[in-house]
Amino acid sequence: MRVIIKEWNAVAAWRWDMPDDDVCGICRNPYDSTCSKCKYPGDECPLLLGECNHSFHMHCIISWLRQESSLEKCPMCRQPFKSKSQDPVTPAPRQTQTANATPTTAT
Amino acid sequence: MALPKRIIKETERLMAEPVKGISAVPHEDNLRYFDVTIEGPEQSPYEGGVFKLELFLPDDYPMTPPKIRFLTKIYHPNIDRLGRICLDVLKGNWSPALQIRTILLSIQALLGAPNPDDPLANDVAQKWKEDQNAAIETARQWTREHAKP
Repeated sequence: MRVIIKEWNAVAAWRWDMPDDDVCGICRNPYDSTCSKCKYPGDECPLLLGECNHSFHMHCIISWLRQESSLEKCPMCRQPFKSKSQDPVTPAPRQTQTANATPTTAT
Repeated sequence: MALPKRIIKETERLMAEPVKGISAVPHEDNLRYFDVTIEGPEQSPYEGGVFKLELFLPDDYPMTPPKIRFLTKIYHPNIDRLGRICLDVLKGNWSPALQIRTILLSIQALLGAPNPDDPLANDVAQKWKEDQNAAIETARQWTREHAKP
């Protein structure tokens, strides 16, 4: 008997590379789910890993860090929160200002 | 505004796995408003008492802490006449990783460890420093009178 495949549909599953049962410490939704505001998990609602190795939904941690009272600390360990993936911001080389001294004409 | 999932989850867990000596029940008509009771810790002047509190989760919870107040009169250097509580995690040390459950445990711990050096009720704190035994006796008496189970 010969079988001819006329059509096939691939189904893929994805998950963040994170421990199974873990939830975001801010919204308490699973990492594979979204923050409390988003509808679709994945690239639109990514995770952010801190230098302290605590991770959160990016939207959750940003809205915490925007609070003045957060003092920009990690909610879990209270260390200053810095994103691990981000390169340290290096200050752009300053342009030396050339003084354009306009000659004052004495009257 | 819809109730965030986190609040629903916290409420469900408070009901399913209550903390010993603590209860928190949301109002049917406002699920952000809870009736709370805390039992006075053993070997504290509040032992044997059941204290009522009210807890409210503001719109921006968990970015801002819950608002909590004692409704039962209590003689404690860190709790004032209006029932307001002086506790770092309810103010500047709040973190969204904390929950209703952990905050109520902190309050119960505060009953077991009054701190007259960081007072909210100045008269009580002063009394506590001048004559601790007398202050503790007053706290016991208030507990018997006002915090009946």
